Amino acid sequence: MIQADKLSRLYGDKYAVRDLSFHVRRGEVMGLLGPNGAGKSTTMKMLTCFLPPSSGSVVLAGLPLHDDLEVRRRVGYLPEHAPSYIDLNVEAHLSFVGRMHGIPTATLSDRIREMSTLCGLEGRLHQRIDELSKGYRQRVGLASSMLHDPECLILDEPTTGLDPNQMVEIRQLIRRLGEKKTVLLSSHVLSEVDAVCDRMMIIDDGVLGAMGTRDELIGLTSAGLVLHVCMRGNATAVVARIREQYKDCTVDMSDSTDNGLSELVFRHADMNIPLAESVFSAVVAEAGVILDMHMQETSLEDVFHHLTGRPL
Amino acid sequence: MNISCFQMMSLCRKEWRIVMDTPLGYVMAIAFLMVSGFFFESNLFLIGQADMRAWFSILSLLLMFFIPAMAMRMLADEKRSGTFELLATMPVTTISIVLGKYFALWVQVLALLALTLLYPLTLSWLGDLDLGQVSASYLAAILLASSYAAVCLYASAITRYEVVAYVLGFVMILLLFLLSKAIPTFSPAVQDWLVLLSPVSHYESMLRGLIRLSDVMFFVVMTGIFLTLTWFELERRRWR
Repeated sequence: MIQADKLSRLYGDKYAVRDLSFHVRRGEVMGLLGPNGAGKSTTMKMLTCFLPPSSGSVVLAGLPLHDDLEVRRRVGYLPEHAPSYIDLNVEAHLSFVGRMHGIPTATLSDRIREMSTLCGLEGRLHQRIDELSKGYRQRVGLASSMLHDPECLILDEPTTGLDPNQMVEIRQLIRRLGEKKTVLLSSHVLSEVDAVCDRMMIIDDGVLGAMGTRDELIGLTSAGLVLHVCMRGNATAVVARIREQYKDCTVDMSDSTDNGLSELVFRHADMNIPLAESVFSAVVAEAGVILDMHMQETSLEDVFHHLTGRPL
Repeated sequence: MNISCFQMMSLCRKEWRIVMDTPLGYVMAIAFLMVSGFFFESNLFLIGQADMRAWFSILSLLLMFFIPAMAMRMLADEKRSGTFELLATMPVTTISIVLGKYFALWVQVLALLALTLLYPLTLSWLGDLDLGQVSASYLAAILLASSYAAVCLYASAITRYEVVAYVLGFVMILLLFLLSKAIPTFSPAVQDWLVLLSPVSHYESMLRGLIRLSDVMFFVVMTGIFLTLTWFELERRRWR
């Protein structure tokens, strides 16, 4: 549904996006993840025909990007900060957007009502946009982008400025939309991408770092099995038992003399060994007590850090 | 109706709605009527004749102040608030955006001039007004205002700041105005060319009640040139 091939954009002699290739299928929500200035918005501006690519090609809803009017008809776009005509009321703004997209006058008001219900804007239609909160303006932006029932939705940071409840609502809405449409959304909030997207791509300095599902990305950077244990008892004997069982297992141990507790971190390259059970048995065999035991999970933050060499 | 024509009308309608829903249009109309009315009545009692030629001469100066004020937000505000990105990603051509904006501005200017029809109506009631000459003068005023509107729309396209757009529009019109005033200082050969290039010279020629095709064409071409420059300015982002 969106097929980008070696997409690049130069600003002066500096690449904002370089050789970006990806595809998004119909009925899929793809997340574009990266820090500020990574090239997310430039990518979206190219996909929505606002900026032409310096090189590379894009096929969007079956159409090449140079067929720009037809592409724009099939794409719904929410630009960053959800700009809208603040001097108009919500209904007038949506009417304008609808008419510009060629929605027939006879069906326009029904469509506006439908979208305002979907985006939780009922009761706000006659309110001026400059009197609305940031969250409601974001909803107006979302309603505008979906008004003409586009095949593809391109949303640039759709939940910026929303409170936690609004965020949950908008994410649920995007998920629902993603069942039928192709959705590409950008964000620098990992939890958002994690909660909403089927697949994600990480870009940094305009270059694609990685692309895949959450598990695929985590698999790329997994540091193996990491088990944290806090125990009381003979930790040295426990470590000896585990080392005997798993030769490649490394252990960091720190003892706290104040309360007689030991903190142990076991690491093993193989994710599939029953290390937790073995540690449990070893502690029981040494008559010790486990106060805490948990696996360290690789997060998307770790993936990003691993790929870019810096935190998000 | 053709889709791009429908879109231009929608854009025009949106601009009108903003003008009518905010104090902008009303403040502009009241200020214009106060200033133009002052010059109308002061000339009327000074000359004591049912004649509007002096007022039309002053009108060209008034337009120099008022049209930049009406045009300044047209594109500069869209760029600053980010709505230009919204507009430019709708299925609408840049030329439709330019023409829609221009038409919206043109109708506003026309409405402002229509308000002044009160003056010839008063004069024709008081005395024997040369309606032919007044009609030609109104046509001249519409043409001059149309070309000034195109200049100011261009000024609004080249900046994100409304005040800068106002100043740029005003300065560009002022330069065109000063050109006509500086004509006598040039050699006769140059004077002929400068007269051809000065909008005020063409305007004043029409105020005599004479509608020449060359005068009308001058304003049409000038409007066309500045609308093309506006289109160029909006398209430029694609060529960087």
